[in-house]
Amino acid sequence: MLQDRDLSSANVRICSRCIYDERVDGIAFDEKGVCNYCRQVDELKAQYGTGGERGERTFHEIAEQIRHAGKGKRYDCVIGVSGGTDSSYMVHMAQAWGLRPLAVHYDNTWNTAIATQNIRKVLTPLNVDLYTHVVDNKEADDIFRAFFLAGVAEIEAATDLALAEVMYRAAWKNGVRYVLEGHSFVTEGITPVGRNYFDGKYIKSIHGKYGRRPMKTYPLMTFSRLMWWSSVAQIRKIRPFWYIDYSKEAARSLLEEKYGWQYYGGHHLENRMTAFYHGIYMPQKFGADLRNNTLSALVRNGKITREEAWSEYNTPPQVEEELLAYFKKRLELSEQEYERIMALPPRSWREFPTYKKRFERLRPLFAVLAKTNLVPMSFYLKYCFPAHV
Amino acid sequence: MSKQITIVDYGMGNLGSVCNMFKRVGARATVTSDLDAIARADKILLPGVGAFDAAMVRIQDGPLRAVLDRKALVEKIPVFGICLGMQLLTRGSEEGKLAGLGWIAADTKRFPSAPDLKVPHMGWNIVKPGAPSALTKDLPDESRFYFVHSYYVRVDRDADSILKADYGVEFDAAIQHENIYGAQFHAEKSHKFGMQLFQNFAAL
Amino acid sequence: MLRTRVIPALLLRNESLVKTRRFGAFTYVGDPCNTVRIFNELEVDELIFLDITATRERRPPNLKVLADIANECFMPLGYGGGIRSLDQAKSVFDIGFEKVAINTYAAEDPKIIAQVAEVYGSQAVIGSIDVKADIWGRKRVYVASGRRQTGLDPVAWARQLEAMGAGEILLTSIDREGTWNGFDLDLVKSVTSAVSIPVIAQGGAGNVEHIEDVVKRGGASAVAVGSMVVFQKKGMGVLVNFPDQRDLEARLR
Repeated sequence: MLQDRDLSSANVRICSRCIYDERVDGIAFDEKGVCNYCRQVDELKAQYGTGGERGERTFHEIAEQIRHAGKGKRYDCVIGVSGGTDSSYMVHMAQAWGLRPLAVHYDNTWNTAIATQNIRKVLTPLNVDLYTHVVDNKEADDIFRAFFLAGVAEIEAATDLALAEVMYRAAWKNGVRYVLEGHSFVTEGITPVGRNYFDGKYIKSIHGKYGRRPMKTYPLMTFSRLMWWSSVAQIRKIRPFWYIDYSKEAARSLLEEKYGWQYYGGHHLENRMTAFYHGIYMPQKFGADLRNNTLSALVRNGKITREEAWSEYNTPPQVEEELLAYFKKRLELSEQEYERIMALPPRSWREFPTYKKRFERLRPLFAVLAKTNLVPMSFYLKYCFPAHV
Repeated sequence: MSKQITIVDYGMGNLGSVCNMFKRVGARATVTSDLDAIARADKILLPGVGAFDAAMVRIQDGPLRAVLDRKALVEKIPVFGICLGMQLLTRGSEEGKLAGLGWIAADTKRFPSAPDLKVPHMGWNIVKPGAPSALTKDLPDESRFYFVHSYYVRVDRDADSILKADYGVEFDAAIQHENIYGAQFHAEKSHKFGMQLFQNFAAL
Repeated sequence: MLRTRVIPALLLRNESLVKTRRFGAFTYVGDPCNTVRIFNELEVDELIFLDITATRERRPPNLKVLADIANECFMPLGYGGGIRSLDQAKSVFDIGFEKVAINTYAAEDPKIIAQVAEVYGSQAVIGSIDVKADIWGRKRVYVASGRRQTGLDPVAWARQLEAMGAGEILLTSIDREGTWNGFDLDLVKSVTSAVSIPVIAQGGAGNVEHIEDVVKRGGASAVAVGSMVVFQKKGMGVLVNFPDQRDLEARLR
């Protein structure tokens, strides 16, 4: 699966601009050899005016709207925090933007000390309050286990969707109409569609089939909840880094210097389930190494060369030694059971009930919602169009 | 190249925790009460939690004593006694009536009763370096360890005292004489400080 | 010199960690093992786990959860909850815990304290006392997670536990628990001046000043903290944390 680290001797076709290669789902190369994902980033940049004057202006208008809508309330926006670079930096910048955020965290009970310490180190000096939703650890493990047993890739889906739901709930509870997310298509790229997918129905189906415990504390975002939050409560999702200039490296230096924040490295040491997913699960079971996402973004932004990115990409991922032992212990899997399930052929989300078709049918509606940030544009692009095989 | 460590199970001690620490520092360790296994050991760890006599009575009269004496005094393999295990290495303790193993010239005494000296000595305390030793190599200057004991050890020879601590009286927190090592504190529950000792013993 | 211990006291409810307020309503805090790993990384002095439903459900300690916890821990561990026999205490020690805390059963059959102390040493036995003001405002010892009155006076009871061989007293103010309002200094002082064994004060810690106070003015030898180390702030979200060690050290010198 790993190629020769020398870019020139690779025997797969690689984009001439980034390092996505032909193995990436839904990839196509234009006459210049540039892939459609690079083009998509270009288009979004043009659309949003990212990092330029237009983008800045648009964002400042949005910030003004947020301030205005939040007058008289304790908080005017919600920021999802994980202890990571993007969210920590956003909390820091919120002050400069004149905003009064409520930090929101979804604890899937697999956090490391770095994550919790980082959250504390940034929130405390900035006097930002924290709202946390902690799921019952046995329930969380049951859901993770269900995904593992099902043999599908989206073992992290439950966490991602739960955070989105929890942010909405926190916003609603506090009369807040804006949720700030740290996603940046410039620093992260757009995740290729097709391979990975998740929504509330998918999680429910997998859990229904392979889970053993009732879902009581897990915050499931059903379709009707999504509709409620976006269309009725009209809570908007804003992604500041789609508009303004953002460099992860500069952000990290600032956070380290100002708050004693710690970078956990590219190995996802902030959450052990994430670390397992990126370091072991995806590479070993699905032959998918998701590092090309951020590496390609770094290349596009001129932070590293294609050669350097390719070399890094084809170095085996580093994994914390006892991570696997911890994973098996938490999910109550014996050595044999773990090996057996890992060896089974990977299954796809297409084999299970999801809302995908419904999202596609309702494309016109979501197009409207996306235009006014009631759902993120990336959501619209990914969910409302048929996925490539 | 590190040899395996044999943790002697004589019925008293925090065997699991000790095993865990060795595993954490990448050393191979097994827990056993089997005399043959102990007889073949390359390195021995003697754990111990509880009362002096309760421990000695399990060791002194049986074939285990003969095996241990031979390993320690004749074959002179590295032996590491922790907590009560270190006190057992001495000639005897004021806590009990039975004699100790006597592998190191030392006595175990009770802490004096004093109005603001609560006994047992329980908690994290800092240690001062004594004579140099392979066991205490690379320990940071301000090392602290977790102590839980009502009795303390004093060696006859100053050269045998490798770490000292203070609690009402100055006493020996860690000792060494030739191949015999001892640590009074719960090395297996002292975070990175304890880990350093375990690592050093594993590397002997 | 001996550092004053600041000990996170974590509450186990079935297989999850929770935090209560005045021994009542609870909030989910997270997974026991994962939380232990975080405290490991923060190098805290010691941990105490208290199973808050074991006695009520009349069941023994959950050895599986405790074993998982002990495997992760490189600092001293104490456990309390539902211990009613020497055998049960032994099973907890064998797993790798240094101390057991006995609360309800000590009031039913005080011999248990001596029994465990004799075999494992006093330092392994914590006499756990929960105190609440009764309807006349007198502070009394309660057992079974604060639901049963014993009529005992905390000072007298602490003396008895000491006499029976307990190596430490864990003194908890039910009224202050989870309130962040500071310790019941009068209660703590009354007990610390009556016994010669260390007293761990629990219930009410909201900031490092409270911790300093209960040690310097209350005479506590150690402090157990709950809400402070599992919540970001009073009334805010769950965030496992620990006060700055150097700050604590400077204050508690």
